[in-house]
Amino acid sequence: MSDGEIEVGAADAFADGDVEIIEVGRVEVGVIKADGEFYALRNQCPHDGGPACEGPVEKRLVGEWGGPGERVEQRYGDDSIVSCPWHGWSFYLETGEHIGDDSYVVPSYDVVVRDGVVYVQTD
Amino acid sequence: MIDPAEHLVVDCDWHYADTFDQIAPYMPEPWKTKFQNSGWDSTGVNQGLSAFFPTSTGNRSNYGKIDREFSDYPQGGDEKADVIEGMEFLDIDATLQISHLILAMGGVTADDRRVESFIKGYIDYMLAEVLDPAEGIYGLAPLPYHDIDASMDVLDRIEDERAFKGVVMVTAGASPPLGNRKYDPIYERCEALGLPVVYHTGGSGLDDYVRAGYEEMIETHTLGFLESNMSQIVSVACQGVPEKFPDLDIVFMESGVTYLPGLISRLDEEYLKRAEEAPLLDAPPGDYISDFYFGTQPLEESARPDLLEICFDMLGTEHLLYASDYPHWDYDSPNIITDLPMLDDEQRKDILGRNASEVFGL
Repeated sequence: MSDGEIEVGAADAFADGDVEIIEVGRVEVGVIKADGEFYALRNQCPHDGGPACEGPVEKRLVGEWGGPGERVEQRYGDDSIVSCPWHGWSFYLETGEHIGDDSYVVPSYDVVVRDGVVYVQTD
Repeated sequence: MIDPAEHLVVDCDWHYADTFDQIAPYMPEPWKTKFQNSGWDSTGVNQGLSAFFPTSTGNRSNYGKIDREFSDYPQGGDEKADVIEGMEFLDIDATLQISHLILAMGGVTADDRRVESFIKGYIDYMLAEVLDPAEGIYGLAPLPYHDIDASMDVLDRIEDERAFKGVVMVTAGASPPLGNRKYDPIYERCEALGLPVVYHTGGSGLDDYVRAGYEEMIETHTLGFLESNMSQIVSVACQGVPEKFPDLDIVFMESGVTYLPGLISRLDEEYLKRAEEAPLLDAPPGDYISDFYFGTQPLEESARPDLLEICFDMLGTEHLLYASDYPHWDYDSPNIITDLPMLDDEQRKDILGRNASEVFGL
């Protein structure tokens, strides 16, 4: 481990959807695996301080409108989100932005996997 | 402070106090003959929308307290000359006429052609006898939105008539609510024609507002008019009508302004918790609602000034349209706008006429 990094654990110990909560300084960070990629977000919802990373990790539901008179068809899209279990505020894993209002952002951290070990970069 | 007499005043909600006797000769057959043989005469619906055995609680004229010098409201029977005299009295330069009787259309739940026939007759009557752009008398065409084909007929009828500047969708009784995909063809056509959609609340069903048993109009009118507009605003915004039809101008009429910050705040709070349920939106619904236009009447001028200031700030004075609602019992004169201390003169001029002139292409 180099300066500015925190070791999380073995990458192959994570299944998709798994979350590992670590301490980064005085805050909790959730390290999340989704679609084979690792993400790290502050585990504190900007709404009410809930554990934002401890809710379900899913694909975001999106709607597609086929034109006038057509139903808006819903399907799970490409973007992965995590939802705070307290009230359902949901955030993109990629950016930490709230899915409905990007003025709310959970701080995010870079994650690297080196020699099979997951590290969260804290610089 | 400005004098309305010296500035453009556009009234976006003047109610033409029509009667069925006036409209029936213009109705399409067979309703033209059926109505004239019916014995309903001028009381196809109770003109005052109230009676001793009422269709709606309370009495529009407040049991004789209210009188209108330039209209036969609430019984109806106005003529073009009455409108012109009333406009002069109120220093109004242009009006958008909305049928008084059509506000009761929500009470018709049968799948028949009464509403369609009335509207088609009303449009021909107004074109023949009342509307006159040279006098500043324009119209908004009601739509029988429960029947999309009939609504398309109405749009075909008015598309080349420059006296009609938009359409009306009466919010009371609209089911499914007006954000439903059923109404997409109407919105698509109005967007293409550049016709604003004016959602106007109405008196149908006031006695049964959510629950039956209210006793006075102060209760039902306060609650019912608000609910009819709120329910449609939520539906139109959440179902993504502004995303589907981005060039469509959306106007909500006749519930004042103070309900809007509360509704927007509540809806946006829900959206932060359930954003996936409004999948067409790219922003909180309040961002879309504040792009709508709102008629000012009945403006809550007795409210705390700082509350009104917040309302104007959230909605934007460029989105507010003066509306008199004349000759209805709770109408607002233009002085309601000019007397507001928290507005500057340019904002007053915008609300009184300039905004409407742009929205409706007058």
